Amino acid sequence: MDLNQLMDLPGALAAFTFTDKGDLTAHAAREGTEITPEVLDLLAHACVANIAIATMEARGWEALTGQKGFEPLQGFSMIGLEWSVVLAGRCGVVMKNRDVNYEDAFKAIGACSAAQHPQGAA
Amino acid sequence: MHIVKQLMAIPGVIAAGEFAYRGDRFSYEGALTPEFARMASILCRSNTVNVNMQSEIHDAYAENSGYKPAQGWIMRGAQISVCNIGNYFAFIENRPELLNDVMTIMRAKVGDVGDDLLVSLYARIGGDVKEALY
Repeated sequence: MDLNQLMDLPGALAAFTFTDKGDLTAHAAREGTEITPEVLDLLAHACVANIAIATMEARGWEALTGQKGFEPLQGFSMIGLEWSVVLAGRCGVVMKNRDVNYEDAFKAIGACSAAQHPQGAA
Repeated sequence: MHIVKQLMAIPGVIAAGEFAYRGDRFSYEGALTPEFARMASILCRSNTVNVNMQSEIHDAYAENSGYKPAQGWIMRGAQISVCNIGNYFAFIENRPELLNDVMTIMRAKVGDVGDDLLVSLYARIGGDVKEALY
């Protein structure tokens, strides 16, 4: 799974990968969008933060409640007014809300993440 | 039909509810104890505030880019996902197509969340809204 395959998802505006610290490593953007590498780099840092927070919450929830099924975290999505970011591991994709299929996006982004980090969960 | 009841009518939805910005008020239906529902409300409020903060920063970087105001978030677990739009949340099983159905219903029923999400959520439980937030 590479960025071009993520860009094949319906409504995909941009796809990107990033380091453990959130620095942008690669990206692809739909022609005509105003999504710049600088914007994606900022988003990537938010992605790393959100994955860390969500993993903490999943782990804490399971420990406190005994309710299983959250770990390993498969991904996270931030939903904006016009578009959503779906992310897992070190991959993210920006998608138009009116076209987004969250389940397909999580599957695709999971495959991207697994390709980047074969041993890793989100 | 109220959004929580509508969500709870869908097979695979474990629990659904509504929380106040400060996290001290909530209501819910489904398979959570009152204490777990309280914890879920705090978790959801925390993530909602976080995502809103990020959308504000993003907007400062790229004005009117389509992120702000944040509408919600999804936490995708191995077998369970937590969905949040505005101040509504749902715990759902990862059944095929359920996530898309739940998100479609939540977006349609809650509508577009306005710029004043945090203010309006706080205002519901009283207090000096502007002074308390800013």
